[in-house]
Amino acid sequence: MDWIAILNAAINGVVLGTLLALPVLAITIVFGIARFPNAATGDYMTLGAYTAIAVQTFVSSSLVLGVLAACAVTALVSVGFYLWVFRALAQRSNISRLIASLGVAFVVRNTITFFAGQDQYNLDVPLVRAWNLNGVRILPTDLYILATAAIALVLVFYFLYATPMGRRMRAVADNADLAAASGIRSHRVMLCLWTLCGVFSGLGGVLLGIKAVVIPELGFELLMPMFAAVILGGIGHPVGAVVGTLLFSVSQEIASLYVEPSYKIVMAFGVLLVLLLVRPQGIFGRPMAAR
Amino acid sequence: MEAYLIAISIGILIYMLMAVGLSLHYGFTGLVNFGHVGFFAIGSYASALLSMQGVPIPLAMLGATVLTTLAAYPLGIIALRLGSDYLAIVTLGFSESVRMMLQTEEWLTRGMHGLPGIPRLFAGWVPADQIDFWIMVSLLVVNVAVFWLVTRVIRSPFGRVIEAIRDNEVAVRALGKDPARFKTRSLMLGAALAGLAGAFQAHYLTFLSPEQFVPLITFYIWIAVFVGGVNRLTGVVLGTVILVGFLEGSRFVREFLGGISEVQMASVRIWVIGMALILIVLYRPQGVLGKSTKGGQS
Amino acid sequence: MKHSINRSRRQFVSSSMVLGATAIFPWPALTQPKGEPFRLGALNSITGVGGPYGGAMLQAIRIAVDEVNAAGGAAGRPFVLYAEDDQTKPDAAVLAVKKLIEINRVQAVVGVWPSSVGLAIMPITNNADIIMMNTCGAPEMQIENKRGLAWMFQASNAVFGKAFAKIARQRGYKRPAVMAFNNSTFVGLANYFKQTWEADGGKVSELIIYEPNQTTYRTELNRALATKPDVVALGAYRPDATIILREWFQTGHDCKFIMPGWTANEDLVKALGKEATEGIISVSNVAAHDHEAYKSFATRFREKMKREPDVFAAQSYDMVITLALAIEAAGAQAGTLDINAKVKSVTSGGQKVSSFEQGRDVLRAGGDVDYEGASSSLNFGQYGETVPDFGVFEITDGKLVLKETVPGELA
Repeated sequence: MDWIAILNAAINGVVLGTLLALPVLAITIVFGIARFPNAATGDYMTLGAYTAIAVQTFVSSSLVLGVLAACAVTALVSVGFYLWVFRALAQRSNISRLIASLGVAFVVRNTITFFAGQDQYNLDVPLVRAWNLNGVRILPTDLYILATAAIALVLVFYFLYATPMGRRMRAVADNADLAAASGIRSHRVMLCLWTLCGVFSGLGGVLLGIKAVVIPELGFELLMPMFAAVILGGIGHPVGAVVGTLLFSVSQEIASLYVEPSYKIVMAFGVLLVLLLVRPQGIFGRPMAAR
Repeated sequence: MEAYLIAISIGILIYMLMAVGLSLHYGFTGLVNFGHVGFFAIGSYASALLSMQGVPIPLAMLGATVLTTLAAYPLGIIALRLGSDYLAIVTLGFSESVRMMLQTEEWLTRGMHGLPGIPRLFAGWVPADQIDFWIMVSLLVVNVAVFWLVTRVIRSPFGRVIEAIRDNEVAVRALGKDPARFKTRSLMLGAALAGLAGAFQAHYLTFLSPEQFVPLITFYIWIAVFVGGVNRLTGVVLGTVILVGFLEGSRFVREFLGGISEVQMASVRIWVIGMALILIVLYRPQGVLGKSTKGGQS
Repeated sequence: MKHSINRSRRQFVSSSMVLGATAIFPWPALTQPKGEPFRLGALNSITGVGGPYGGAMLQAIRIAVDEVNAAGGAAGRPFVLYAEDDQTKPDAAVLAVKKLIEINRVQAVVGVWPSSVGLAIMPITNNADIIMMNTCGAPEMQIENKRGLAWMFQASNAVFGKAFAKIARQRGYKRPAVMAFNNSTFVGLANYFKQTWEADGGKVSELIIYEPNQTTYRTELNRALATKPDVVALGAYRPDATIILREWFQTGHDCKFIMPGWTANEDLVKALGKEATEGIISVSNVAAHDHEAYKSFATRFREKMKREPDVFAAQSYDMVITLALAIEAAGAQAGTLDINAKVKSVTSGGQKVSSFEQGRDVLRAGGDVDYEGASSSLNFGQYGETVPDFGVFEITDGKLVLKETVPGELA
């Protein structure tokens, strides 16, 4: 048992998992409140990353500015599509909203590539060596990413559990009819929801761009693992989303040490399947009536 | 010109078989299956591998369809225990696992290198330049037969039960019927259709690679089923024609938008498809031909 | 890395302007040649995995078409270009090539990039008597090339893998590891590397095939580095190479990398900076920087695209010029099969030429030509394959410096 290798893999998994927890959170709250899997989340992430590139190319090389712009732009786009598309579909089936979100995903991604082309872009981030603590490697850039993501998570949890609006959102996620009967105005809740979705997807995307490269498929390729993490944690559960993502990322990284990379994904789904057979609502989900 | 239209028709007919299967799953039984391309893949590779071992093509295709049906059985067992949201991800995991297996088991499938040289349907029976035409004809015949068969199934007692399951499973259970068996059978029947479609694909393209079986194909079939109307078989026909029409037709849009580069044109194509999707969902919710059902299916 | 941002800005703006300003249907003839137009199809991977390369390949094809038409066409026949995107997918490619063949009635298809597409469309182009020129590396392409209508401008994975192994051996490395992108090209390359290396003695310390589209490859990289290799043969495309090399640099592990030239080029330096790319061994078709054809092509390419051409673009340019010379040699009345028969003769034996006009003049005077291309000397073997000499470059201070040449070898 090479503990150093396992520790390194775990660290990598934690950084990646915390970063991905942001868009996964976005997916799970939308799933819980608007009641559909938002396939456009991936491309909102891509939008965030490309916004940061645009800022760095045309405005200023400040990464912070790029990150802020990514969040703002994605939030605007997210709210925009809610107002135009998802609000009108509120009474319809999950599948119709899912298909519409697929359409939104295609539109967002191809608007980006129309101007930016298909080639890769790189965010201007200083390249530094990792700190080597007896074989365990920790990268300063990773720490910044981890810190940013963690702070964002803390803020959103504070918001969800300690503010009135947050409570309202969780009420709607729990039981929309009861929430309406109690006088919760869903329009405000929805605006809040989609802004949050946009900010977190955009933030996750730009952090991803810092860690990897910016390509058109950046977000779309991650949809599957992200959805799996949502299911693992229980749909609509913020804590579950974070736990699920971390669990997945860390276990996948550790599994890569021993298993052929192609089978990483299979194993992840296998684990998910086993869990769901034992606990069909996910780790934190509430038991649902048999359907 | 005709050869191009024949090629498009073959594409439509193959997708149509898959779409009927998915319609059976979702439109009629309420099963949210996001792993449909997995059945397509199993059917393709099974038929290809069997025929490359010397099995005559029609037998290989039959064998492939049977194999796919059997593969759906375990998935059926799982389907019973999970709600629709969770079923979606599990079926997705299934199709991705199939694809990964096709990629890694090089001894069987040649992995990423793909399988070239698959025996072509009708090769040796008709002149080479007529083969595509006959493939199209046979697909047409198969589709008609399948439509007839599925219509009979839907109108049968079995069909009534699965529609009841879609609308209100608890009630079905209350009537003393076990939804599990019906869901599984529906799943297997739909899977068989996808497997058959896959077999046709293998002997038409004569080259298979795992990259042809990505989840995007499942999404395309969902779009076709949805756009046409989720619970009308005629809707399936229209939906597939519209889907392929958009995918191929967008190629020709460029002729009217002269000042755009190739790279941008690729973006415009998919942008148009995305926008069309949004508009159809917004303004034609039941699909072009669908009927609204008790459960508010659309 | 201020200059990378400025370059990005310029690339962004100028690319979108250039892209916006080009009309593409059909690409016009620049003079008035008299013969019947030759309909040329370009099937490029504009989107998908090949996206980073496809657009440039199409641009290179256009540059060559312009050159031929400006000189009055091939045997007086102007080229008319029709372009389609195969999305780097075999099933989409089949429909695209059918459209080109049936609707646009093209007589040749050029610019095919991935082996999956090449293998999928070869039966179709063969049945339609159409010349197909590609950069596919799968050895199966040669086996399936039953009518001799397909021409592989890129060395096969087998040849590449062997060359990599030979280069690593020649430079005195003892413990190679291999990391490869999971597709036919690089899995093939990795396996041939391992085969060749172990046949000559020694073992490959680790061979890892990684999945595409991942955010991080650190764990896969660590697995390779854990075996303490002195060199890593890295079969990657630019996005994954960027991630892997960045993560390698961050570990501080001391080892060298051998990579294919289409990834280890100046674009990679721009993505990663000079420090992380210092010393990378880049293996490329040798013609690249010495041949006249390359220099003249690169100048025109640089004007349009504001960067150096990669080997695929150079090969695409060569495809059109070779085809034009073959048409010139076969005559204005020649059909596709006769033209095809001339491809080998215009690329070997005879006076060496490096542009269409030059070659045309020699052919008209009754001579024989040997077109030395922008991508390689273009010597085709029995099955339509090229076995080029490889130039071994090292990235030094951000620039590719040629160190030695290694002849390519067949199985």
